[in-house]
Amino acid sequence: MARFKHNARRNKKWGSAKPPVLKKQPPSVDHVTGSKIPKSFVFARGKLPGPLKQLELDLRKMMLPYTALKLKEKKRNTLKDFLNVAGPMGVTHFLILSNPKSVPHLRVARTPQGPTLTFEIHEYALAADIARSQSRPRCPQDLFKNSPLIVLSGFGAGGQHLKHLELMTIMFQNIFPTIDINTVKLASCQRIVLLNYNSEEKLIDFRHYSVRLQPVGVSRRIRKLVQNHQVPDLRNLQDVSDFVTKAGYGSESEPDEEAATVSLASDLDRVNRASTKSAVRLQEIGPRMSLRLVKIEEGLCSGGVIFTEFG
Amino acid sequence: MQADPNPMKRKRKPIKSKNPKKKKTTTKPSGAMAAVAEAKRRKPSKRMLKLFKKRAQNYHSDSDDDDEEEVVEEGRRGEATPSDGNDEDGSADSERGGGSEGDDEGDGEGGHRGGITRFDEGCRAFRVAFSKIMKRKLPNDALGPMLSAHKKLVVEKLVEEEAEHKAKGEAKKEKILALEKGHVKLANFLDAKEKSLIKIATKGVVRLFNEVSKAQISQRGLNPSRTKVAKELAKQRKRTFSPELKKSSTQGHGDHLPFNSSKLSNSVEKENDDELGWAPLRDSYMLTSSKLKDWDKMPDPAASVGQDVFPMESSSSDEE
Repeated sequence: MARFKHNARRNKKWGSAKPPVLKKQPPSVDHVTGSKIPKSFVFARGKLPGPLKQLELDLRKMMLPYTALKLKEKKRNTLKDFLNVAGPMGVTHFLILSNPKSVPHLRVARTPQGPTLTFEIHEYALAADIARSQSRPRCPQDLFKNSPLIVLSGFGAGGQHLKHLELMTIMFQNIFPTIDINTVKLASCQRIVLLNYNSEEKLIDFRHYSVRLQPVGVSRRIRKLVQNHQVPDLRNLQDVSDFVTKAGYGSESEPDEEAATVSLASDLDRVNRASTKSAVRLQEIGPRMSLRLVKIEEGLCSGGVIFTEFG
Repeated sequence: MQADPNPMKRKRKPIKSKNPKKKKTTTKPSGAMAAVAEAKRRKPSKRMLKLFKKRAQNYHSDSDDDDEEEVVEEGRRGEATPSDGNDEDGSADSERGGGSEGDDEGDGEGGHRGGITRFDEGCRAFRVAFSKIMKRKLPNDALGPMLSAHKKLVVEKLVEEEAEHKAKGEAKKEKILALEKGHVKLANFLDAKEKSLIKIATKGVVRLFNEVSKAQISQRGLNPSRTKVAKELAKQRKRTFSPELKKSSTQGHGDHLPFNSSKLSNSVEKENDDELGWAPLRDSYMLTSSKLKDWDKMPDPAASVGQDVFPMESSSSDEE
């Protein structure tokens, strides 16, 4: 008892002892689906020039929340080091950026012995460039709290079932955690990753969008009023009904919304209510890349080469 | 120092032993010593005094900086010669000897101007000169000390440097270009291609949301009594997804492969069938096994499509 008191006093003297805080580990197994949540490491091998370093950071942000955002890599770290760490942490995929012969490459690999797909980055644009070129860049706070959905397009074109295309689709589908449509909340699907395969040029377009839902059928003014909570200017109007019923001009993207309307399953927020039609508007965030598949290896950056682009 | 000749003699002795070579230059080694001692004691002649005064007046330590050292070097010999010319031979010899002897001394006190100043004053003069040299900063002229063709060399050097700069600048530019390779600065953001891509993505999202809304609304509608609901759901999902699969594969270019949710739902279906209570406990166990039923129901092309999709699943499991 005396010792206990002594310790308590001591703690008070030297600063209060904090109760041990259990850091919440991100779940490794999804509770709903029961399948393992894929986690990834995004890192670089070799020295990267400035814009490529930015690209690495953008990719890391895109892979949130199941990636190490502040992964620190040193020059002397080899692939083996990453592999050793990946095991206990449950990391399933590596995204490796490199710049051999000044051509940026991206390798997507599955740990521990999975196949490695090597892509050559034909063109890329950084998230900062995209934000700069938009008139209203949008990044709500919770955008990166949930993992993105992936949309693949053009991979099965022409009815061909080329092995490498299939492998690519499987790989990309596995990188992002799966969702269960029964229980998923629409509010949590805020990001989309699009991979579009262009079979003539054999380029894969990689885009990253943020999803926004807008109620349809409401005039622009009323919508803005409800969203912005700003008192409108009624100086020139005689009656409130003028304000409400005046037909405003539509924005140029309005006609496209016909195909994009959904009826929501649940309330999203004050504006988008259940079983009313809402339009899905996408805005681009994040890096933009066009990739070309160069080779597929059996092992993790090793092993036999299953497929090469250049014969 | 002036009063006591002995220390000088003492100083001279060890040095005499150190440098026997130098002594060969002097014509009268043993005699020179005595002559030197005599010379120091003797006042310089009037002519010399005049000369000294003139020099002192004209002396500017800061002018001809580059030349000072060499002048000093040359002066040592040069001044020995005019002094030779001025004075008698004997004294000249002794002075030269004195000068060279003075050089031999460790500090070189009174050394280089052996014939000009007296020994004691020479110390001070040398000290002054030395400190001035040390204070003065040497011009860091890469061309070296002042030569006759200095200007030409300077011009050449400048031309060289400029050429170097140009080459460096170009190399730098090339380097930066190489770094930026592939980095496309967006000129126009929304062109037709981007719009089409956004449309594709939007279509995908719309499909997903529709599926979700169907599933969730129907789920909400039916009240949970687990087995029935789950079975209903399973059936419904299969029904909704097989047409989806059919649609997706028979559509033309730019269609969508079912994305991860559908893949998941396949596995979820399989799981759900097991989950709902243990299969044998179900009422419809073995009697109305949903799988068999569905195979009958599903038309053949859909079945083939299903086959195509499933091998993808199995191949992934093969790899894992």
